[in-house]
Amino acid sequence: MALVVGGVLTLGAFIGVFFWAAVPNFGYVRTAGYTDSVRYQGEFEQTITEAGYLPNYIGFSATVETGNGAVTGTIASASDDAVTLSTDAGSEEVALADVTSAVVTGSEYSRPDWGQKIFYFHVPVAEISLLMFGVAAYFGIRFIMTRRREFDVQARVAMEATLLFITLTMVTGILWTRAAWGVWWDWEPRLTTYFIMTLLVAGYFVLRNSVEDEERRALYGAAFSVLGFIDAPISFFITRLIPSVHPVIEKGGLEGPMLVTFIVAQIGMLLVGYAFFRLRMGEVAVRDRIEHAKTLLEG
Amino acid sequence: MPAEDGQHMDAAPALAVSGLTRAFGVRKALDNVSFELPERAFLSIFGPNGAGKTTLVRILATLLAPTSGSARVLGLDAVQDVVELRRRIGLISHSPLLYPDLTAEENLLFFAEMYGIGEPQARVTELLEAVELDHRRLDLTRTFSRGMLQRLSIARALLHRPDVLFLDEPYSGLDPHAMDILDGLIGQIRGNHTFVMISHDLDKGLELCSHALILARGRVVLFEPREAIDERAFRETYRSTVGMGVA
Amino acid sequence: MELRTKEMLMSMGLYALLTMVVYFVALSQAGAAVDPRDIAAGLLWLAFLFTSMLGLNRSLVHEKDQGCLEALLLSPVDRPVIFFAKMVGNLVFLLVVEVITIPVFAFLFLQGESFSAAMLGQIALALVGGSVGIAGVGTLLATMSVNTSGKDFVLAMLFVPLIYPLLLGAVIATNAAILGAGAGAYWTGMAWIGGYDVIMLLASYGLYEFIVGA
Repeated sequence: MALVVGGVLTLGAFIGVFFWAAVPNFGYVRTAGYTDSVRYQGEFEQTITEAGYLPNYIGFSATVETGNGAVTGTIASASDDAVTLSTDAGSEEVALADVTSAVVTGSEYSRPDWGQKIFYFHVPVAEISLLMFGVAAYFGIRFIMTRRREFDVQARVAMEATLLFITLTMVTGILWTRAAWGVWWDWEPRLTTYFIMTLLVAGYFVLRNSVEDEERRALYGAAFSVLGFIDAPISFFITRLIPSVHPVIEKGGLEGPMLVTFIVAQIGMLLVGYAFFRLRMGEVAVRDRIEHAKTLLEG
Repeated sequence: MPAEDGQHMDAAPALAVSGLTRAFGVRKALDNVSFELPERAFLSIFGPNGAGKTTLVRILATLLAPTSGSARVLGLDAVQDVVELRRRIGLISHSPLLYPDLTAEENLLFFAEMYGIGEPQARVTELLEAVELDHRRLDLTRTFSRGMLQRLSIARALLHRPDVLFLDEPYSGLDPHAMDILDGLIGQIRGNHTFVMISHDLDKGLELCSHALILARGRVVLFEPREAIDERAFRETYRSTVGMGVA
Repeated sequence: MELRTKEMLMSMGLYALLTMVVYFVALSQAGAAVDPRDIAAGLLWLAFLFTSMLGLNRSLVHEKDQGCLEALLLSPVDRPVIFFAKMVGNLVFLLVVEVITIPVFAFLFLQGESFSAAMLGQIALALVGGSVGIAGVGTLLATMSVNTSGKDFVLAMLFVPLIYPLLLGAVIATNAAILGAGAGAYWTGMAWIGGYDVIMLLASYGLYEFIVGA
């Protein structure tokens, strides 16, 4: 019980902090290649080949190439299909469809906008889902070694928690992608990996539901969760290899209140995860006792 | 040290089961089963569906592991000495355990190889003749009738000359001719083999056995040598357990 | 075994060919805009993936029906050996289908291209690497899925997310080989295939003996 309260409290606290803390002002840099994960703190120059990403660079100087030449100026505003640059000669609007490439320069990249708020929620849930997956795999292994039912129960509950958190991760991820890049989906490493993970977790439950025999069900589930947990990190790293021009998000540094909020959020989410686990275990245990009693009564 | 040759020790049992339990959570398929069976005995196991008969046999045949307790077959532990034990036991089950796309002969040769039998061809021929399937040796097993499959299955089980034979309802689905052949075969090798048979046929089971075991709900209801059994009392007990169903 | 081998190969081979036809239909509207060479790798592996799932399923369902697996388990053969035997069996089937399919694919979609021996060698290596992974993981998963009520659906559900990294690596490598994109991309892909194969095969091998007896 205390855990639940603790979990809920922390969650509440973190929501409060979330709204209290200033809009995050941390920089994150888009790199066109996957080979470097350098954090830009100083001057940078970025070549962008996907016009759709231009609206993200409002306030920066850019040289935009179109079919009929180049426009240099500061990106003043953007709409769904055009960016407006203020050049020496005044403002000029460039349709995104005409843009072939652009070079953006700046001294520090920061993006103040609401989309970032989701980050506080998104990253912790993503981390917890991965953690829970690991926990499930751990219990799975212990079950395989000992064949004791309680390990299977714990593994299953951990997987349920994983399912919950990973669904949250996907939803917030999609929202963030939309807010950050203007598209609803992108096959970038993290999103793709989490998508695969979602499939793995769903697969776990599909597998369990399709097996009649209890012990076999537990065994199969355990085996699959172990394989899945090995697969997830592999997927992540390999998706980064895709030779495409899609940018990758690299995280920059966090300062001050943002950092605090972030850490509080993580702890809060961890506690929420744990509370969920315990609650559900309690529920399952009660159910089991009822079943047990029923069995004994029949005897 | 487990005794390989029973002659050197008094009454070294072919089967020694002690406190055997197989449970998952609360459900127990087998609950503290204990008994001993001397060599060259014929044990008939009776009991209602779900009593744990098949589970018991599968544990003894090394196909399943118990949750607790021990089972020793021919002095070998069914969990620790698995590989060694498998060479000395055979199982005949409801399914024929044969490859449908191979011929009878190929099937037997394949398993002969698995068991590492010397001079496989000779042994295979010998067995094919014994089960009266020699004339069908080159036919695919998928074309066989149930009786023939069962006979071939027996041949397969006997390839490696096991000391203990487990039979899981071997007579079910057989026509009288096949039943006769099976009877004949069992009669032939009875002398120096130990048998464990699960049967729903009370008469047949009692007729063949030297010991009888009744299981219900995973527990031993009765375990007696044949001589000690009063038929009527036995049938009474049996009938009363049949109503007991699954745990 | 012979009859069944032929039957399996026929069905897997025909299945792959059918996939080709579907490809044609799928791509027919793109016309000249799509250069088949660019997507050849992806298309090929797609075909192989689904063909392999078909094959895996059939081979193990067949066995389960007659309880043959149980007979094997009864014999004094080590469980891991059974795993390897099955895996190799599945692998061989897959490789044979691949070897047949690729020339057909080239004939249908890649007319006018030339293939150097080195390129073919690279492609072959990628094929083997990918197929090994598919066979290994697939054998383990199929052993489980035949005991479920969903059978092929369950296999697909479990197989695709697990095989994703391997598939990606294989496509990267094969693509690099076909386009002659240079050793860098190719060997990166191959490295991934190699890594995946080692890790996942070890895991499958380790898990198999717990799974198969259940």
